[in-house]
Amino acid sequence: MKEELAPHVHDITRALGNKVSEQEIERELSSYLNVYRVSLDTAKRSIVKKHGGNPATLATGISKTLRELMPGEQSVNLLARIVSVNERDVTVEGGSKRILYGILGDPTTTIPFTAWEPLPVPLAKGDVVRVQNAYTKEYRGQVQVNFGIRTAVAKESPTALPEFKPGAGQPYVGKPTAVRVADLREGASNVAVTARILSVERREVEVDGAPKAVFSGILADETGKTQFSAWKDFSLKPDEVLRVEGAYVKTWRGIPQVSFDERATITRLKPDLLPPSERLNVSPRMWIEDLAERGGAADVTVRGILIDLREGSGLVYRCPECRRVLRKGACRLHGEVKGEPDLRVKAVLDDGSGALTAVFDRELTEGLLDKSLEACIAAAKEAMSTDVVRDELADILVAQPIEARGNVTSDDYGLMMIVESAKLLKVDVQAEAREMLEGLEGSA
Amino acid sequence: MIREVAWRLFASEYNDANLETEGTGERPPSYVVTPLGAKVNRVFVVGVITDVENVGTDGQPMWRARVSDPTGTFHVYAGQYQPEAASALSKLKPPVFGAIVGKSRIYSPQPGTTYTSIRPEVIKSVDESVRDYWILEACRSLQKRLDAMAEAQKMDPPTKEGLVKVGVKEAIADGIVQAVNHYGKVDLSRYLAMLAEGLRYLLPEYREPIAPGEPTVDTPRPIKQEPSREADESEGKVLEIIAALDADGKGAPWEGILETATTRGVSKDSLEESINALLDKGLIYEPILGRMKKI
Repeated sequence: MKEELAPHVHDITRALGNKVSEQEIERELSSYLNVYRVSLDTAKRSIVKKHGGNPATLATGISKTLRELMPGEQSVNLLARIVSVNERDVTVEGGSKRILYGILGDPTTTIPFTAWEPLPVPLAKGDVVRVQNAYTKEYRGQVQVNFGIRTAVAKESPTALPEFKPGAGQPYVGKPTAVRVADLREGASNVAVTARILSVERREVEVDGAPKAVFSGILADETGKTQFSAWKDFSLKPDEVLRVEGAYVKTWRGIPQVSFDERATITRLKPDLLPPSERLNVSPRMWIEDLAERGGAADVTVRGILIDLREGSGLVYRCPECRRVLRKGACRLHGEVKGEPDLRVKAVLDDGSGALTAVFDRELTEGLLDKSLEACIAAAKEAMSTDVVRDELADILVAQPIEARGNVTSDDYGLMMIVESAKLLKVDVQAEAREMLEGLEGSA
Repeated sequence: MIREVAWRLFASEYNDANLETEGTGERPPSYVVTPLGAKVNRVFVVGVITDVENVGTDGQPMWRARVSDPTGTFHVYAGQYQPEAASALSKLKPPVFGAIVGKSRIYSPQPGTTYTSIRPEVIKSVDESVRDYWILEACRSLQKRLDAMAEAQKMDPPTKEGLVKVGVKEAIADGIVQAVNHYGKVDLSRYLAMLAEGLRYLLPEYREPIAPGEPTVDTPRPIKQEPSREADESEGKVLEIIAALDADGKGAPWEGILETATTRGVSKDSLEESINALLDKGLIYEPILGRMKKI
């Protein structure tokens, strides 16, 4: 373990201009990794930031397989095969630019990539490449690899990596480990979970250019709830209790998710083995400081005040191709397009212990405004500015105590809640004040 | 950069602060640390905006607002670098209930003198229920710090690790240790009284003036006392006098009120009683010491 970390200790020390001793860095790095159990990348960046350095000067990336990649990695090294590659012209900051995009594969999975800078070597389907200092982002729930200005790409012999075979992975060997839902941790594989299915729905996704059905939903035991994805049709039904053996755990922005495929064994169990759905399907109320500590959670309830509206709230226009919100009529990826109108709110929700960005979709926003998207478009037209919609939202929402329920994810910019439902909070202030006062006078 | 939390705290605790510290990182945030260890970079305040004044020039306005809560007054300054807040302030017609999100500021014109203020990011007029909820939140926050500080005062010396061990959140423990090092042993009874004051402010049963010696906690529900006709009359008169004497908009001076009241047959004692009653009912307020203004 120590030898493996040595290049990273060295990297951190160098990024800090040798201001701090290697022993000190080694001790800190080991504390981040073993005590706080954050990823190596996060640990390195945090240590550099803490000592006043610039994390962008870190140079030694971390070698990972594609399946290990998480959104928001700043510097990873990969060995991968080009599964497909295409060119496209995009408008970036007013100028036109040619980028490459396609799919990377290794024996663990495939992932989309984009090369934002010209590469020293031409890439063709089937090439094996060694990539250093790439970074990742999350887009519509999927990790994407990006090659930027600091990224080095070099070709390797085609035999450096086994041929990518889409489809079945290797079956697990050995006995699966039984895990409670609350104890599911990123990266665990071959686990056994006994849980009740609370909901399930079929979705069509594209895997390696071919359509594939995935069955996703929520499952729960007495310790908690989690999202799941089944990559094979096990005819899962809401309410049934089952044991899944051979599942693996991924996290999506801090929320652990259980996945299982044809390698897994499903056993249906007696329905009374676990409490009924209504008892399992509660959304625990949490403080934002605790969410920040955990790095996110699925289906939680937060009470706080909407203290500010963020940029991009109200009436927005989205790219018809990728659904990104347009800035000045242009999409970051697809240039100038005819935008499709949408309504949303991005607000700062602060509960006194911490703050997160709460995102409300069109339906919720229409409900808050008590106004349809069409009415908002008409109002904006009359005022000749979309600001009227934003102003009206600010009027209704800012300084309001609310209770919001949804999934909380985290990235470099902090926590974000995709709001599932929300209501203005009505608290019996007098009753609570009376109770506190009695406690105070009782203890005095 | 993780967004700084917006603290809910009472003006009286905030204005007691005279310690400023810096965080770490590329652009270190600054904090005002209160005697109870609130380490404040951002605040969220809801109170009565009692007056707004341009203390700058016409060309370069600097708006100053006073925001009062049950314990004291916050000072809010917005100038050219806070255009939205400045414009919102300039349009307000005090007194109004106002919600302010802003950054903490401490100013020390000479050694030994410090003034705390707020540089606003967001200002909005709100209704009374939002203000009441804020008082409750400020009380809860104060209670947490009081409990943590009581733990800290049992330790010698208090440490962050020791506080975390007894269940204090790390973010609070840090501020507590800094506060103890700077302010020494703080008299908690004063803040306990402030907490009780904040809570009573929310409860109608405490709004009527209560004669000393009368039991207070045993009153199960508010007893709506029909105020005597006499008191009612003099309150009405006093209210009229205050409105009439408030010629320049800065409130009616106390001497003027006393003089006019005496000529209209209201004794000094009953005048004081009426003013207290009117203050309690929220019909008048004291924009500056010695002046009364109708709301």
